[in-house]
Amino acid sequence: MSLLKPFSKLPGLNTANILLVENEEQFQQSLADVLVEETSVTVTVRLAKTLPLPMENDESRPRIDLVVFIMNLSSELSFQSAEASLKYLDPGYFLGKVCFMVTNARNASVPTERLDAVRKLAASLHCPLLFAEDQTPDGATSATERLLTVLKVAAGLVPTTTALYLSNLTRCTLPPDIEQPSFD
Amino acid sequence: MERPQNSVVRTPPNSTAVQRRSKSKSYRQSYRSCLGAASRLGLTPGLTARRLNSSRRALKSHIITEKVNPDHLALLVKREWRLSYITPLHQFRHTQLKRYSRQLSAFIAAEKQQGVAMEVEGSQSGFRVSFSVVQGLAATDDDAETVLIQPQIFSRPVFAKQDEPQKSVWSGWLTCINGNPEYLQSLPKGFTSLPLFGGSGAEVLTSLVKSWFQQTFDCCFGPLEINHTSLQWLAALWTNCHTESNLQHLKMIWTLPVVPPLQITYTVNPQDAWELWMSVRKDRLEKTEDEEEAGSIDIEEVMRFVQGLKSHFYRHFRLDLSAGNLNQVSTALGSAKFSGKIKISNSRYMITTLTLLTECALLKMPV
Repeated sequence: MSLLKPFSKLPGLNTANILLVENEEQFQQSLADVLVEETSVTVTVRLAKTLPLPMENDESRPRIDLVVFIMNLSSELSFQSAEASLKYLDPGYFLGKVCFMVTNARNASVPTERLDAVRKLAASLHCPLLFAEDQTPDGATSATERLLTVLKVAAGLVPTTTALYLSNLTRCTLPPDIEQPSFD
Repeated sequence: MERPQNSVVRTPPNSTAVQRRSKSKSYRQSYRSCLGAASRLGLTPGLTARRLNSSRRALKSHIITEKVNPDHLALLVKREWRLSYITPLHQFRHTQLKRYSRQLSAFIAAEKQQGVAMEVEGSQSGFRVSFSVVQGLAATDDDAETVLIQPQIFSRPVFAKQDEPQKSVWSGWLTCINGNPEYLQSLPKGFTSLPLFGGSGAEVLTSLVKSWFQQTFDCCFGPLEINHTSLQWLAALWTNCHTESNLQHLKMIWTLPVVPPLQITYTVNPQDAWELWMSVRKDRLEKTEDEEEAGSIDIEEVMRFVQGLKSHFYRHFRLDLSAGNLNQVSTALGSAKFSGKIKISNSRYMITTLTLLTECALLKMPV
């Protein structure tokens, strides 16, 4: 199995590399456009539909600092493909270098069970769960700001803070009632 | 994402916590981890639950014609109702129905005449409203309030003969069947909870009735969509009844978000659907001998049933239906649409279908 490993390559100077994984391949494009405009750090954005990544560019691929899984809640397929891609990540990534981003969470047609399932997944992996709005350019901008905060820490560019430390603060927690039985 | 607000009145948290611990034991048999995440569904410690039941009693064919007036039943079935939820009604008395019907007729007549300076024709807008109580649909002894009420609005055409039957232009009902007993008991005095409202007929009349209710009983109406999971529940529950009453077909309509949007109508032969459903339930039925257990259906079985249908479709057409939305489920027993329209064609399964819809309404209610 071709696992993506976090520490097998050397980091670049003042660079941060982010990988956006999304089944629909829409929001990642607008996020990428805003991400590369960052000036204080050189941000390289890689886009993928699912993992595993193709073996051919394994040599030329830089070290990936943060993997973001983007899920659209209105389609079940999105969630399933993100879950299937999780298997191809080296466990070292789950120490703060993976992030889940969810779009379309306020849509009325989304069953609540899907969001709960995403929450449980993020909580069990100790990863942060971000909500984003993909229809307006403002939504992409604000999502990018939050991603950059996490990315800079994950790339080691913020002194005295490591990815693992930040993930302890930002990880998704489950509300205590999520396991309660419901109506009788 | 919106969460239901906790209202001021709360059941004391200690007692509910104790209650829940004992309840969770009975659910442990059906616990199965699915895709690495637990599939149990839960309840917020507020008054209303956030999630539907994870396990549900199978549809039983209630012969309710004995208990319920068959005229009322005939009115309920074979019509398409648009659903909405209602917050609890203040000072609603079942004994005052005659007064309510007079008030509502007067209200509708007044609204219709707004803007007309003089009364041109005598009894042209002859709206007559009758409220009636449908006894016998109350499911549990806990909620004495679970009764159906039915206003029907008749209109008398101008040149009607004396003995011509009046045409009903609008009818509706409010109901609460198998509501959450904790919630119903925790309502303050003076409030009746009839969370499910269905109306069919002219949209103008529906909004008039709603505004009258809002003014008289200080309640709020809101549209109720039947969400994706409930539609799947309905598909599974109706398939479960195939031996007792013939389904004739199981038809599902999916929409896929491509450009231009693709709508897929997926019709399944009832015998095949029944065999698929039985194969999903086979493991469950073999393990438990108890009659009670065999009657209840879990959410995982429903999911597996629908997953089986989807993968069959994928094998033939290479289209994964998980990427789309389920919009409508219909069988000979009834049809349900995502937009909140429901039609029950067979009165035998009314109680269980209405139970499911009552739960949806209680969930969607903001109080």
